[in-house]
Amino acid sequence: MTESRENKTILQMEGVSRFYRTRGNVFRGGGRLVVALSKINLSLRQGEIFGLVGESGSGKTTCGRLIVRLEEPDEGRITLGGEDITHLKGKRLREYRRQVQMVFQDPYQSLNPQVTIADSVAEPLITHKVGDPLDHLERVLRVLKTAGLSPPEDYVYRFPHQLSGGQRQRVAIARAIVLEPSLLVADEPTSMLDASYSAQIFEILQGVRDKLGATIMFITHSMASARYLCDRIGVIYRGHLVEQGPAEQVINAPKHPYTKALIDATPKFGRSELVPTYGTLLAAERPATSSAGCPFFRRCALAERLLCAGSYPPWRQVGPRQVALCHFAQEEVPPPPPAENAARGETGAP
Amino acid sequence: MALLQVENLGIGYQTAKGLLKAVDGVSFTLEAGRSLGLVGESGCGKTTIGMALMGLLPPNGRIIEGRIVLDGIEISALDEDELRKVRWSKVAMIFQAAMNALNPVKRISAQMAEAIQVHRPEVDDSAAMERVEGLFNLVGLPLERLYDFPHQYSGGMKQRAIIAMALALNPKLIIADEPTTALDVIVQDQILKETKALQEKFNIGIIFISHDISIVADVCHDIGVMYAGQLVEMGSAKDVFFNSQHPYTQALVSSFPTLAGPKTKLAPIPGEPPNLTGAIPGCRFCDRCPKDTASCKLEHPKWQEVGPGHHVLCDHC
Repeated sequence: MTESRENKTILQMEGVSRFYRTRGNVFRGGGRLVVALSKINLSLRQGEIFGLVGESGSGKTTCGRLIVRLEEPDEGRITLGGEDITHLKGKRLREYRRQVQMVFQDPYQSLNPQVTIADSVAEPLITHKVGDPLDHLERVLRVLKTAGLSPPEDYVYRFPHQLSGGQRQRVAIARAIVLEPSLLVADEPTSMLDASYSAQIFEILQGVRDKLGATIMFITHSMASARYLCDRIGVIYRGHLVEQGPAEQVINAPKHPYTKALIDATPKFGRSELVPTYGTLLAAERPATSSAGCPFFRRCALAERLLCAGSYPPWRQVGPRQVALCHFAQEEVPPPPPAENAARGETGAP
Repeated sequence: MALLQVENLGIGYQTAKGLLKAVDGVSFTLEAGRSLGLVGESGCGKTTIGMALMGLLPPNGRIIEGRIVLDGIEISALDEDELRKVRWSKVAMIFQAAMNALNPVKRISAQMAEAIQVHRPEVDDSAAMERVEGLFNLVGLPLERLYDFPHQYSGGMKQRAIIAMALALNPKLIIADEPTTALDVIVQDQILKETKALQEKFNIGIIFISHDISIVADVCHDIGVMYAGQLVEMGSAKDVFFNSQHPYTQALVSSFPTLAGPKTKLAPIPGEPPNLTGAIPGCRFCDRCPKDTASCKLEHPKWQEVGPGHHVLCDHC
């Protein structure tokens, strides 16, 4: 869609890991180390919408929080436009946050209930001392309109409880883009909303990319949403990025068994005949093995015990700009995606 | 006779701003062994219907018109004592927040046995435990987890335990209110498939309440689409989704991203649903409807048949 703008890398994560230590207690002794993210390599290109897809607990939110620097990585390096921001502090961190903003999952909790919409959206401008305070209102109105709340005058003096969930999420987006960030991290912005509102949010995010030229990292658990909105998709499993590539390729020709399992499990809207079934998920999990092996070994139907349990899989190039973390992944001539063939003749409905 | 008959059901909530008619003029029937998906956005009244079927409306809610007949018993006319006998033995519910539906300080097996023995006092302890073990096998829970507490279960296991509990007394009707909303896609897929298999095996009627139309499309025989308290379209899953007639259903379907078929542009539905306090004279969707005409605002649309078993609440379809 936007090939020309995608060339420049804006954000880069190199071998980024994040560990959490669970709190120990009297019975169990000391805390246990939980790996939330393990050696993530990821780069976002200017002006793209990158979808990070995974289940709950896979580390996708942690990844977003590291990017906006709500947390610091324990290992690895994050750069934005060439500048190392891994351990920024103080003033430099504040400057960084002007460029990188986040939209949170739950619009019922991310807005202060005691503050009007106008003040909520203007708050980043005040914090970062941007522009003349007299111009703030005008700017707020403009940004509310970009976020699909029109006429914006109707909304500025309302409080969050007077808005529906979809409207609140649009306010949250307005608040995130009022500083015109170059990178926006949207953490499951539609998971709490009804379908009709989700489509609105998708449209607004596309508008933010097209009008402001912002790069967007869209964190989601839904393959279907990622397919709709994103240029590229990364699939994350228990803290390991397992596949990455252009959205259509990852969906139509997935190469990692976990990606295939995710696609198998996604509801097909009563049209399962249009999408192949891969059957890569093991019915019963294997017992735990050493941590040296493939992260997906316990649930993978294709795994071979000797190879997969013992050694960490390499990144394999499996298609144009598509890579998968699997011993067995290889580039193959994909069977013509049945989705397109069958559907073309069948419906012309929008 | 149909397993469940709902006739012209109207449910109101008494609020500070007056009577809020959350459900208005809803009629449908469900045969044994069939599944009906009730879909719609939040606030459309789908959960309220589920609660009314269980006789579990909150104190400020009541059935103001119509009736519910389950297996020959008029549920809407029963008092609390009689309801308690019907509940769980004839109609069971899988609740929305299944994670919180289990008692955290009781072992799973004890909770299940209790549910059985409360309704069937003649069942002794060992027979109840036998039944619990049978239920564990049925829903695919390992028997060595019988004596665990709920916090030791994963989300999917808790959901399975809830389903097992709903099946405990061989109900004829199960109401599943957003049973998989909090679960990951892979677990959701497993649970949906298992629920469907169990339904077929025991010839249970299921009412599946969800805001996610892609799920019900895969699981249910029939679909009822609700908007602002009314049923606006009803028919087989195929008719409703691939040959939608009501403008709201069409809008809902085209606002949903899917993996199957060509990638089409999603069309968001503009506007917001109407406020349900007070009377609404005409069609409730007309403010957001592309087919809106002058007469829509004035007159109640009629429930008409557009194909065999396919009904729509719209005068212009």
